[in-house]
Amino acid sequence: MSDRRFALLLMVPAALFLSAFVAWPVVKLGWDSLFDTQPLAGTSEFVGLGNFADVLGSADFRAAALRTVVYTVFVVTCEFVLGLATALLFNALGQRSRVFRTIFLYPLMIAPVVAGLLWRFLLIDNFGIVGQLLSQVRVLSDSNAIGWLSDPDIVLFSVAIPDIWLTTSFMTLVLFAGLQNIPGDVLEAARLDGAGARTMLVRVILPMLRPVIAVALIVRGVDAARAFDVILIQTGGGPQSASQTLSLLIYQTMVRFGEPGRAAAMSIVYLVVLFVVAVVATRTIWSPGGEQR
Amino acid sequence: MNPQSPATPGWSRRSFLQLAGLTGATAALASCAAGGPAPASTGGAGTGASGSISVLVEAGGKAELEKVAALFTQQTGTKVDLVELPYDGLFNRLQTELSAGSVSFDVAALDAVWLPTFAGALAPLDALFTDAVKGDLFDSLVSGAQINGAYVGMPVWTNAEILFYRKDLFEDAKEKAAFEKKYGYPLAPPTTWQQFQDAAVFFTRGTALYGTDVKGAVETEWLAHVGQAGAKGLVLDPSGKVIIDSPEHLKALTFYSNLNNTLKVAPPGAAQVDWGGAQNLFNQGKTAMMRFWAHAFPLIPTDSPIHGKVGAAPMIGGAAGVGGVPGPWYLSVPKSGGKAEQATKFVQFAYDNNALSIKSSLGLAARKSAFAEYAGKPGYEHFAALTATLDGPATKARPTTPKWQQIVDTALVPMLQKSLVPGADYAQLLSAAKGQIESLVS
Amino acid sequence: MRGVGQKRSTVAALWVALVVVVALFGFPFVYLVLTSFKTPSDAIAIPPAVLPRAWSLQNYTAALQAPGVVASFVNSLSTALISTALSIGLGVPAAYGITRFASRAGRVFMSATLVTRMVPPVAIGIPIVAMANALGLRDTPTGLGLAHATISLPLSIWLLCSFFESVPGELEEAARVDGCGRLRALWSVIMPVVSGGVAVTAIFAFLASWNEFLFALLLTATRGQTTPIVIANFQTQFGLQWGPMTALACLYSVPVVVLTLFLQRRIVAGLTLGAVKG
Repeated sequence: MSDRRFALLLMVPAALFLSAFVAWPVVKLGWDSLFDTQPLAGTSEFVGLGNFADVLGSADFRAAALRTVVYTVFVVTCEFVLGLATALLFNALGQRSRVFRTIFLYPLMIAPVVAGLLWRFLLIDNFGIVGQLLSQVRVLSDSNAIGWLSDPDIVLFSVAIPDIWLTTSFMTLVLFAGLQNIPGDVLEAARLDGAGARTMLVRVILPMLRPVIAVALIVRGVDAARAFDVILIQTGGGPQSASQTLSLLIYQTMVRFGEPGRAAAMSIVYLVVLFVVAVVATRTIWSPGGEQR
Repeated sequence: MNPQSPATPGWSRRSFLQLAGLTGATAALASCAAGGPAPASTGGAGTGASGSISVLVEAGGKAELEKVAALFTQQTGTKVDLVELPYDGLFNRLQTELSAGSVSFDVAALDAVWLPTFAGALAPLDALFTDAVKGDLFDSLVSGAQINGAYVGMPVWTNAEILFYRKDLFEDAKEKAAFEKKYGYPLAPPTTWQQFQDAAVFFTRGTALYGTDVKGAVETEWLAHVGQAGAKGLVLDPSGKVIIDSPEHLKALTFYSNLNNTLKVAPPGAAQVDWGGAQNLFNQGKTAMMRFWAHAFPLIPTDSPIHGKVGAAPMIGGAAGVGGVPGPWYLSVPKSGGKAEQATKFVQFAYDNNALSIKSSLGLAARKSAFAEYAGKPGYEHFAALTATLDGPATKARPTTPKWQQIVDTALVPMLQKSLVPGADYAQLLSAAKGQIESLVS
Repeated sequence: MRGVGQKRSTVAALWVALVVVVALFGFPFVYLVLTSFKTPSDAIAIPPAVLPRAWSLQNYTAALQAPGVVASFVNSLSTALISTALSIGLGVPAAYGITRFASRAGRVFMSATLVTRMVPPVAIGIPIVAMANALGLRDTPTGLGLAHATISLPLSIWLLCSFFESVPGELEEAARVDGCGRLRALWSVIMPVVSGGVAVTAIFAFLASWNEFLFALLLTATRGQTTPIVIANFQTQFGLQWGPMTALACLYSVPVVVLTLFLQRRIVAGLTLGAVKG
């Protein structure tokens, strides 16, 4: 047996598994999206692309898609800024900061459902501790001045907090590792050229971190766009659906309203867009020549 | 969104207690006729019937069935697994499993409004509905159980919102004097919208105490006010026409939301206040009055600052008088379940031993005879308020439509939440909701 | 960056900043732990306080006595073990095949694996429920473990590839010259070298399943319910059981916290490796 065939053989079990449990469900989803199915009545009628027309024309779907984009951009931006800042901090302080890096790692390990619950508990009106503490230090006039989870204008950002809390450490650790890989002489040379801290960051450090940043942003972007449990636990998508992202809308359409055809059409649109965005993002910000796999 | 939801055609207009008394004797007979605890017959099945059945139930309602389940196991040898889920989770699970046609449970407790949605997937229980059984259940509960000509659920308990108030505040001499001086009539638990507003304004003391709560995350309470305003139907009229823009609906919304928007007698964050949130505010002593499901009366924790200081009164009334939204629950057996025989037996058993449910922490039941047995006993003071509310002239059940949950989630709750912003245009919100609902039910 | 003319005051300021950042990040979890030791009604007091008025274990006893809680821990554990075993069992040969015998098929497979990472679980959740029903695996740890492997297998392959790539090719060639078969070479020469990497991968596969919510919500009902679902179910309409819920959340985090404490360095290595080498 040639090496090539042997390699193929090694990949077969995993490939079969993923085809059966990921590829096939996606195909099934595509098929389902062509039917108007009423599971409780037991009827199913072929409607071609009717579900897609219906979904794309639906204000709820478009609003949820927009919210998903806003949520993702907000989460990833905050994580990147906070993550880079802490990574630089850790890097500047070196080995002595190791204990803190361990503490910083913890949120990453916590179940999202616990995080969602915890933050609901921290932010909820009347008995949330955050409002209480902020009012005690006189940042807020009273503990309910901000309706974190009840004000539709800000709820989308409030429900993003646990996600940011959970995974900023991922950003930090990845960027920190990237920083450690920057050769000291490059930095030294820049310093000798008289570069200030800001110039160093923008002109030297960030460009050198580019491949790392690209991976971190894409990985987190895809995850944030799929966020489900943290939001479900905190608000269930409310108030006024203001925190209902695509994942929640699909879940609601499918599980609560029992409309599998529409839900499948939404899923397909969601999947395709996510995929295209990820590929385009990879192509654009991945450093050229850096792709080994 | 409602723990104790309603039913169907209006609750019996006849006097609840009177009826209960009249039928007491027949009920006793009926329970024997219907099989009673009859250990001999059920025990016989025990030979092959050991094993277990699983019963899906809303988390709060689980207590209702615990005693019944224990007795069932004792008498038949069949173990009963009570599986509890939150209200929304229960609906979602029923939807998923009944749609898939493969179920993980043998019996489920269903909110009355869900019966029309799931009727097609539920086994008919017509054999259980003998004349004696029908005679001991309230008419509205019997007719609510019948969808497309088949009985698909057996009522287990029913509930309604009543008025909880702080006795220590309402009976305080100083408060009484100050109230009378300000409003010109004596302080008492309110019975009308106007009195309710007055008392709520009176007891609002900065952020230390609020008059009442306003719940933006649930719709049933507003619906009760719609009934009180004299609407022909809640959201839909009996013929199925959407009437959410009627003057009665507008009056109710104005009353409901103005408590928050103009009178400002409710704690902040009304848009996301749900049953649990409202209950905690009251139990923590932050609100002077709460409109809430009757079952919560015996549930006030002993370490709560207001324990022992709470009174129960019938729900307030509007132009059409006192009214509530009845919240009955039914036990149903899925068609696709594997243990239909034992499941049906459990449903029958739960009916026979309905009075046991009253001894649970929820303290609710469905049979007239069961209520009659406990009326007037100490610890069941809320029964009078509950029965008076269920018996109120404006009491109306929610409409029978398979799309009800969807109407609630996508139209009613968002509409209420939008109305809780100062300056909201109530009429415009209602007419927008009308369009949405029409597209759902058409 | 370091050590070049940093003033002492700058260093002190950086330390202060670090402590503040870490404290802010740590506070929510500390508050969760503190709340779990309050009495049930103190946990939802208005206004809330950071410290318990009286320390109490009531929430823990209430949480552990709630039906299904202990069983759910067993389910979580068996589900996570099944999905970890699947991910490693299928992932190791696949990653080895991809990295050792660089081929077109390998690259295609790798990209396909990455694509599966972009599939929203909510999208494939429903078809998977139907499949689990058909296989008779609904509401079982096995069924849920299979579903979780759809998340952790791609992740495992990705991580394992990085580890295999770092093994010098000569090592394997030497083994082959010694007359080892290809499978033998993988098992007795390569595996010992990458065992650390496999362990890290296993931790991640385990955590992915341990913390997963959506598939567990869709696929389990009673017998197979995992703890995240039980925690979420404490939010009932009939009252706020936040005290017991926080206790359960704390208990569920204990294994993870311990794991992190002991394997911190490896976890960091695993987290960064994939991305940095990416």
